[in-house]
Formats: sequence, C-alpha cells, structure tokens
Amino acid sequence: MPESALSRARLFLLPALLIAEIIVFASLSPRFLTADNFANIVINASDLALIAAGLTLVIILGGIDVSTGYAVGVVAWIAAKLMSAGQPAIVVVLVSLVAGALLGSINGLLTTVAKVPPIIATLGMAAVFQTVLFGLWNSNDLFATPVAPLLSGQRFLGVPMVLAIVIVVYALLWWLSRKRRFGRNVYAIGSNPEAASLSGIRSRLVVFACYAILGLLVGLAATIYIGRVGVVQASTGNELTLLAIAAVVVGGTSILGGEGSVLRTLGGLAFIVVLQNGIVLAGVPPLWNGLIIGLTILLAVSVDVLAKRGDSRKLFRRLA
Amino acid sequence: MNRLSLTDRRLFLVVLIVLLGVVMSFLSPYFLRAENLLSMTQYGAVLGLLALGQAFVILGGGGGIDLSIGSTMSLSTVAFGLTAVNLGLDPWLAAVVAIAAGAVLGAANAFLINVLRLPPLIATLGTLYLYSSLALVLSGGVDINGFDRSGFAYLGQSKVAGIPFQVLFVLVPVFILAALYMVRTRQGRQIYEVGNGSITAALAGVHVRRVRTSLYVYSGMLAGLAAVVNASWLLNAKPTAGAGMELQAITIAVLGGVVITGGVGTVLGTFLGLTVVIVLNSGLQLAGVGNTWQIGLLGAVLVGSVVLNNIVGRRRTR
Repeated sequence: MPESALSRARLFLLPALLIAEIIVFASLSPRFLTADNFANIVINASDLALIAAGLTLVIILGGIDVSTGYAVGVVAWIAAKLMSAGQPAIVVVLVSLVAGALLGSINGLLTTVAKVPPIIATLGMAAVFQTVLFGLWNSNDLFATPVAPLLSGQRFLGVPMVLAIVIVVYALLWWLSRKRRFGRNVYAIGSNPEAASLSGIRSRLVVFACYAILGLLVGLAATIYIGRVGVVQASTGNELTLLAIAAVVVGGTSILGGEGSVLRTLGGLAFIVVLQNGIVLAGVPPLWNGLIIGLTILLAVSVDVLAKRGDSRKLFRRLA
Repeated sequence: MNRLSLTDRRLFLVVLIVLLGVVMSFLSPYFLRAENLLSMTQYGAVLGLLALGQAFVILGGGGGIDLSIGSTMSLSTVAFGLTAVNLGLDPWLAAVVAIAAGAVLGAANAFLINVLRLPPLIATLGTLYLYSSLALVLSGGVDINGFDRSGFAYLGQSKVAGIPFQVLFVLVPVFILAALYMVRTRQGRQIYEVGNGSITAALAGVHVRRVRTSLYVYSGMLAGLAAVVNASWLLNAKPTAGAGMELQAITIAVLGGVVITGGVGTVLGTFLGLTVVIVLNSGLQLAGVGNTWQIGLLGAVLVGSVVLNNIVGRRRTR
C-alpha cells in the first residue's frame, strides 16, 4: 500500500501534539515545566503504563479488555491484605503476579475455548471482578504503604525508581512483539485470523498467552497502585479501564487489530497523562476532565482513520 | 433453520423465567404477591428502553455497539432538567426536548461511525466520556429538581389497573411498535440484511450507511425517552442518571438472543431478556442480596448466555 502524505504525517502528529501540549501548559502554569512535576507525572502514570502495554498486545490481535480496572482492584486488595499480614515484599509481588495472571487467564479461556466475543467476555468479567472486589472489601477500607522502593515514587537522583520497571516492561514487550515469532503471530492473527490459522499458527494458544501477559501486568500494576493511592476501596482501579484503552488507541494502535506497537502506546499514554496533569495545574475544573479526554480520543482516532481511508477492506470487518 | 433457533431461544428464556420465579418464591414469600410483581416492572421500564436501543444498534452489524447509551441518558436528563427548571418551560415540553437531545446525541455517534468511519466501540467510548462529562459540566454536578408541574409525576408514579403507567403506556407500546417495525416494514427487514452482511446488502441496493445511521438515532431517542421516564419516576434529574446502565443494556440484549456480530435477534427476545433480569434483580433484592452482588451475577449471566448460545449453535451445525 503506497503511503499517503496524510499517513506519513500521522507518525509525526502525536509528537507534535505532545510538544504543543507542553508549550501550552508551560505558559499557563509556572509549576508545569519543573522536574518535580514531571516526576509526579511518571509516578501517577506508572501503573496505567503497565496495563496499557499489555492491552496493546491484546488489541493488536483483534481483542479488547474492559475488565482491567476492576482486575487491578481485586489484586490490589489481595496485595494490601498480604502487606498488612506482614508478608515480605517478594511474596506480595509474586502472589499479585499470579493472581493477575489467573484473572487474565479467565478472559483468555472465555475468548479462546468458550469462543465468547472479547467485548462480551471482558464486559461480563468486569462486572464479576467488581462484585468480587466488593465482597472482599466488605465495607473495610484497607490502607497500604508502598510494597518496595522500586515499586514506589521514591526517587534516585531525582528520577522515580518505578520508571525503571516501566522501561523494562516496555522494552521486553517491544522485543517480544518485534523480534520473536510470538510477536509476528500476534500481528498475523490480528490482521487475518483465518489466514493465520491456515498457515499453522496455534491461534488459541497465542491469544490465551496475550490475555495472560496482560493479566500478569495488571498484577504488577496493582502492586504499584496500592503504594501510589494508599487505600483499597470498593471502586479501586475502576478509572484505569477506559484510560488504558484510550492510551492504546490515541497512540495509534488500530482497534481493528493487526497494526500498532507498544512504543506508540507509550506516546499515547504520555499525551493523555500530560493532558490530565496540565489541565489540573491550569486550573480547569475537574468536571471538564472527561470532556477533554473524550474529545482527545475521538480526535486522535479520527485522524488515524482518515489517514487510512484508502484501505477500505478493513472497514467491513466485524470488530467484536 | 434460522427461524428454528430463534424460537428455541425464546422458549429457553420463558423456561428460565418460570424457573427463576419458582426459585425466587422459595427465597422470599413476598415474591409472588401481585404488588411486588408489578412494582418490579417500574425499574424495568427505564432499563428496557435502553436495552431496546442497544439491540437495534447491535443488530445493524459492522461491530455496532453503543457504549454511550447510559451517558446519552444522563445528558438527556440534564437537558430535561435545564429546560423544565432553569428555562421554566412545561415539563412535557421539556420531555420532547430531552428526546430530541437524545436523537441529536445518537446522530453525533452515527456521524462518527458512518461518516468518519470510526469503529463503533471507540466512537461510543469517546462519547461515553464526552456526554457524561458534559452532563456534569452543564448541571454543575448537582441534581436538578422542582419540575413536578402539569401532572408530570403521573408518567412515572401512577398505576392503571395496578400496572405502572410507564410500563403500560410507554414500555409495552414502544416494544410492540419496534416489533412491528422490524417484521412488517421494509426498513425493519433491511436492518437484518445489513446486519447479516453489509456488502451483500449494499449490492442488493440497501443504503447501508443510512440504515445504520437511523439505528444510532433510534438508540439516542430511546435513551432520551428513558431519561424522561426516569426523571418522572424519581422526580429528580440527576446528571449521573444513566451511569453504568450500558452494561445492563448490553447484557439484556445479548441475553435476549441478539448476536453481538449483528443480524440475529428479535424484539420479543430482548423483552424476555429484560424480564429475566428484572425477575433476577427484584428476587435478589427481596432475598436481601445487595446491589453490587446483582451486578456480578448479571455479568456471569451475560457470559454464560453467550457460552450457552455457542454450545447450542455448535450442536445444531453438526
């Protein structure tokens, strides 16, 4: 497919928007362009970053997950409970990873073995996780401290240590999706599931693995989340679900599958978290938050879709 | 063939409703009392209108889904409240404004999906944020009330022959009209054609985009109507009136036999799906099971009904 000027422009659109955003907010608030504020942004975005990274894989293969927020809530409760029982950090992290992977595996099994469309499976499981969290919480807020310095906002030479985790996860997923056969299979399934199966790819296994990886990252995100927020309640994590999807699609990964990358997600994520931080510092009332995020999603995806107009085949493909 | 499977689905739902009724009447002695059975439906009227809108949009295929349906209801509620209270117009006129607002919001979704060609999931995810936030901004985040004039409360709080007014004169007529529309009119049949394969339908001369556009507008109007019924029932226009309703609406449509990829499903099925959810919710309420537990059960029912669909479908193709 010959690249149109618009689709080449697409690659530079997000960095350009990000720079424009930073200039605007820097002129609106003197506190915006400080090292301290940027460290804050990193700390506040780190758990979301991990979820968005895993979600990118799932969306590239043509799936979706709307249960990540409450899954974080359930694992966060488990982690906070273990913390208050005095368990060492390593145990808390391991149990959280396993719990997250188990929750992700449920989605994986439902979509592969039971053949439930991913939007239905994860919508249903989001409701189930919400209830599980509610049952575990049982009207008792759990308070928590950071699990480990590496999983907290603690700084080393001014840089939050948690940034290291985010960088390692993104590097690993980039390597996995770009340099390994597993990654090529993910793209192949996303662009044409029938062709992928016919060419000998064990689709079910790959799809299941992607949901399990997402679950694993949800578990890791939960261990960061409790340190950042400090309390586990009935609605813990809920706000992350749609933000994670927004980060992935604003970054330019196609919701139709087969196209995208974790690095683009990092761009989309940066755009959204800087936006959130900037509008607070600029003194915009919090009620406007959803309005701005909603418009951003629609704008970013519109540009993306318009740029790909020529390739109309995909538009006929069913999404769910 | 197709006909047979649909019949099976409806039969299955009827059996499920009877079974649930029996279980619930054991859980609570009050369940089978007439006043309980009828007051159950009050809550169902709002939900049923949203589920019908969702069913329309999903039936149209092309990945059609309306995640913004709850937010559309919230924003229509605020449009109603502002017109009736801040502008001081007659609440019945404000009701017309609310439904028109719903239609406009639905048309905005349709524009994003059918003209800009955004995937429905993303377009309506964006408008979910947008509409719910707009509802909060316009209302300043506070409830609007004081519109109990011109007998407006009659719509949501009165009963005729023991049956809630909004069920007898809004929900049931709307479902009957929708069923007739789907089966008896050319536009209705075109929805199935488009849902079953947009390319085939387009080749057969159906204006695919126009059909799908109308579905999102219907969905928006139904959300507007739900906003009016809800405002009259609670006598309160809440800027978060429809929050979280999208999950329940999708659950009912899918439980009622609407296949998520479009083209398969009926209005009667959606009505039976609604009945299942209402019986389940009110039975559990009577048995003292909290709201949040019902959400989880609904999620399990949603996933379970699709798994069941797949098993039944697979057996039949063998």
